Amino acid sequence: MIPLLAEAAQTIAGLSGNFTLGIAGAGAAIGIGLIGMKAVEAVGRNPTATGKVLTLSIIGMALAESIAIYALLTVFLGG
Amino acid sequence: MQRFPLLLAAGIPLKAESPWEDHLASPLPWGNWITNSIFVSALVVVFVVWFSRSATRQMEVVPGTRQNLFESIVESLYSTIEGIVGRRMVALSFPLLASIFFFILFSNWFSLLPGVGSIGWGERIAFITVPNVQVPLLRPATADLNLTLGIATFFMAFWLIVTIRELGFIGFLEHLFGVKGGFKGLFALLLLPIFFFVGVIEVISIIFRPVSLSLRLFGNIFAGENLLSYMITLGKQLGLPEAISYLMSILVPIPFYFLELLIGFLQAVVFTLLCAVYIQLSTSHDDDSH
Repeated sequence: MIPLLAEAAQTIAGLSGNFTLGIAGAGAAIGIGLIGMKAVEAVGRNPTATGKVLTLSIIGMALAESIAIYALLTVFLGG
Repeated sequence: MQRFPLLLAAGIPLKAESPWEDHLASPLPWGNWITNSIFVSALVVVFVVWFSRSATRQMEVVPGTRQNLFESIVESLYSTIEGIVGRRMVALSFPLLASIFFFILFSNWFSLLPGVGSIGWGERIAFITVPNVQVPLLRPATADLNLTLGIATFFMAFWLIVTIRELGFIGFLEHLFGVKGGFKGLFALLLLPIFFFVGVIEVISIIFRPVSLSLRLFGNIFAGENLLSYMITLGKQLGLPEAISYLMSILVPIPFYFLELLIGFLQAVVFTLLCAVYIQLSTSHDDDSH
């Protein structure tokens, strides 16, 4: 199914490139954006908890970002 | 739209090669296994040891500049990890976590020094000018999956030992497969198969931890290296005249160097914090219902 879609995309709109990395990158970006939004909100609601919120949001963002890194590795390793 | 050639190939090679392998007969009989990233990791270890030794040689009450800097870093790291792992575990796990943090931090930042990755073997035109370096002499240590996987598996071994020492072997199994939520008697028997599968999923997620830890660190630093080398050679790639592409190769990568500084620090912090969280997940058993 996916190769069919990729083929169709390529022929019709000339789209090409790495769909895996595109989708994973978009997903990770949305995830990190959400975490950032909620972190800023939390700090706004309780400024004294900045340290704790910062630690938690950094861990959350790193976990979200690693999904994009896995997809990025498929580019390097030619998966 | 003229398709750019796959520019990642212009970046650093994926596999760390031995600087001696195909260029010179390796002077040391066993020298072939020393790859350029092992050489750099040794350099980083020497630097970290020298920095910590010199900062703590004669400690005074009123600290000197180096001791003050070193103390502030270690203290903030200690309090952060203590906040996560708890007072009893921090004494046990802090030495390993702090050395992992320093090693990853300095080897990430080491890769930003000039000359790393740009001095090495390749077909040379003049005596020492090599336009396209195939085998860099210095290659950032963490941009090599072997090293990051090594740190991750070493930490998981430490984690296993600490957890089993803390919970005991049966306690550890019960922690994984046990019926949680305080059910007793017949009801617990009914739930046993369900919690067995919960345990299997738990084991799978534990096995995946070193993989995700190492791939995350490796991916970020390796992508950063490629990004930098891509930005430096941007002028040449676009086929601009020599002078402009030379000027671009100086100005364009500047913001990316700061980005890499931040990512290098962030990945070190994340790696250490995640290790602390993994320890805390499996060893803080005194408060929840058991």
